[in-house]
Amino acid sequence: MPEFFRSAAVRLALAFVLVTTVATTAVFGLVYLQIREANEKRNRLILEDEAAKSADRSIDELRNAFEVRLTHDLRRIDYAALFGPDHKVMFGNIDVLPAIALDGKAHFMAASPVGGGDDRLEPAIFVARLRPDGNVMVLGRSLLESLAFRRIVQNALAAGLAPMLLLALAIGAFFARRASQRLTAIHDTIAQIMKGDTHLRLPLRSGNDAIDKISQDVNLMLDEIVRLLVQIKGVGDNIAHDLRSPLAVVHAQLERGLEKSNDEQLRAVVKQALAHIDRAMVTVAALLRLADIEYGPKSSKFAAIDLSAICTDLFEFFEPLATSKSIRMTLEVQSPVQILGDADLMREAVSNLIGNAIKFTPENGAVNVSVAQEDGRPVIRVRDNGIGVEPAERDKIFQRFYRTESGHRVPGSGLGLSIAAAIANLHDFDLRFEDNDPGAVFEMVGRRK
Amino acid sequence: MTTSNRAHTIVLVEDESELANEIRIELERLGHLVRTASITEAADAARVGDAALLIMDRMVFGEDSLSTLEILRKESVKVPVLVISALSSIDERVRGLRAGGDDYLAKPFAMVELAARVEALLRRLEDVRTTKLRAGDLEMDLIEQTVYRGGIRIDLLPREFKLLEYFLRHQGRVITRAMLLQDVWQYNFSIETNVVDVHISNLRKKIDVRGVPSLIVNIRGAGFMLNANA
Repeated sequence: MPEFFRSAAVRLALAFVLVTTVATTAVFGLVYLQIREANEKRNRLILEDEAAKSADRSIDELRNAFEVRLTHDLRRIDYAALFGPDHKVMFGNIDVLPAIALDGKAHFMAASPVGGGDDRLEPAIFVARLRPDGNVMVLGRSLLESLAFRRIVQNALAAGLAPMLLLALAIGAFFARRASQRLTAIHDTIAQIMKGDTHLRLPLRSGNDAIDKISQDVNLMLDEIVRLLVQIKGVGDNIAHDLRSPLAVVHAQLERGLEKSNDEQLRAVVKQALAHIDRAMVTVAALLRLADIEYGPKSSKFAAIDLSAICTDLFEFFEPLATSKSIRMTLEVQSPVQILGDADLMREAVSNLIGNAIKFTPENGAVNVSVAQEDGRPVIRVRDNGIGVEPAERDKIFQRFYRTESGHRVPGSGLGLSIAAAIANLHDFDLRFEDNDPGAVFEMVGRRK
Repeated sequence: MTTSNRAHTIVLVEDESELANEIRIELERLGHLVRTASITEAADAARVGDAALLIMDRMVFGEDSLSTLEILRKESVKVPVLVISALSSIDERVRGLRAGGDDYLAKPFAMVELAARVEALLRRLEDVRTTKLRAGDLEMDLIEQTVYRGGIRIDLLPREFKLLEYFLRHQGRVITRAMLLQDVWQYNFSIETNVVDVHISNLRKKIDVRGVPSLIVNIRGAGFMLNANA
């Protein structure tokens, strides 16, 4: 889930939600304030006006007027009282004279004590006016109505905001999900390309949005990179190509010289040179082989083949070699494991793995070859308890010409694993290294379609 | 050059003159007559029976020699053909053999490898149908699948039997490791270990007689040879 929130689209959606909330709240708030202001202003004017009009009335008239007013005030929002010159209440529903100027102007009190025995405090507007007879008349109006109005506005805001928030979130999540699905697809493709599937390209929608445009650019870059790669490899392959004939010629000439010469010193030198040329020829042949597998037309010989049969055959081929090194070689084969492939190439790949395992396993070691169907995927595993591969070297062993520190002492082209990996790739298999502690496991696993 | 000589001539089609020269020297050293030729010349020689063997580079002067080979085979010209090629993929090999080549060798190759293939092709038609193969006091019955040495039965594994049969069919000729891999195991790729040597040594242990030189000898830098008179 944290990955979900890290996505730019999700963050954008959340920001959208936030802005909408603030804007809506602001509008509601403004409307509320305006209405409250108008309401309060009107109340003030009425109170001031009433106070002014009542100034000339007699005390009895006032008493009657107050009684009528208060009896009709079912909502209990009106206040009216007359205080004596000593500021003691004479009649009305206010117990204590509010602490305001006795100027006949409306004053706001955030928390006014309310009469009638209640201990309620509430916002109210009061007008106090000194009468000619020395008494003080106080009229007031509770602002509880405003409070109720505020609650109504708040409720309306909440009721309107909640579905809007949900809607915004849902839309955001939808787009985030869509974007993240696309990004995941792009990410997966890039991972596969980095693993060596250089023919893959980023997926494109029909739409022409930003991601598509960037994907198109990346694809163009990939085309160019692949072109350059092929060119570079082509240079190497061409060099190998051009070396073949000279190597064969030099080899032949040296052999001829060796035959004719009786000079022991010269013979020794020529023999050494021949050994080196032999190695060069092995390397050149392996390099060209690799180029054939990687860039040649896909083998036309793909047919149903049985990996179990191939490994059994190779096991029998290699077992005497293992025995000669006192290596115990075992085979685990279940029922036939059928794949679509080129039997010759598969044989070559597995033979490289088994050959390596025997090469890098000391005397009295063990090599195990197994073929199985795991989770519906074909797996060939060659396991040994030999010298293994240093952690630092594990990434490099599939590179062309890479020889491990310990492997330098063992003859070979250094291309065996590259060839095996190329063949595996051609068959939609992955060739992987696993630590056997001690020793190595090389496994060829069919990719999930 | 007499007619009989001409019939034993190996006709070589190779446009890389230095390589052609080395091939010629090597084969002449082994007592063969060698003539270099263009594709058309080689085809004509084959048609009139002037060639004992054709060695053809797959691509000569930008031309694909396989099409000529296919035409020759359609005309029922039976001369053995060794195709040499820059292309090492198994597909190419299959294509070369399908077009009518009898053997296929990818560059770069050692001259001993080429020489061994040439020898094998030149004497290929001998004793294909025989049911018994012999070398000195070793006798192999192909129908019974038995091997006797000096009258004593030798038990061989199926693969060892095939290996020995191959040696018996190519007595006195150099057999390279690549030939054994190809013809006995049907492995069309190189193997960077001495696994073939181990198989030979196991076979030797079974067929050799104490105090007598081994029937199969190592040929340094080339491979092996089964020699009954050794």
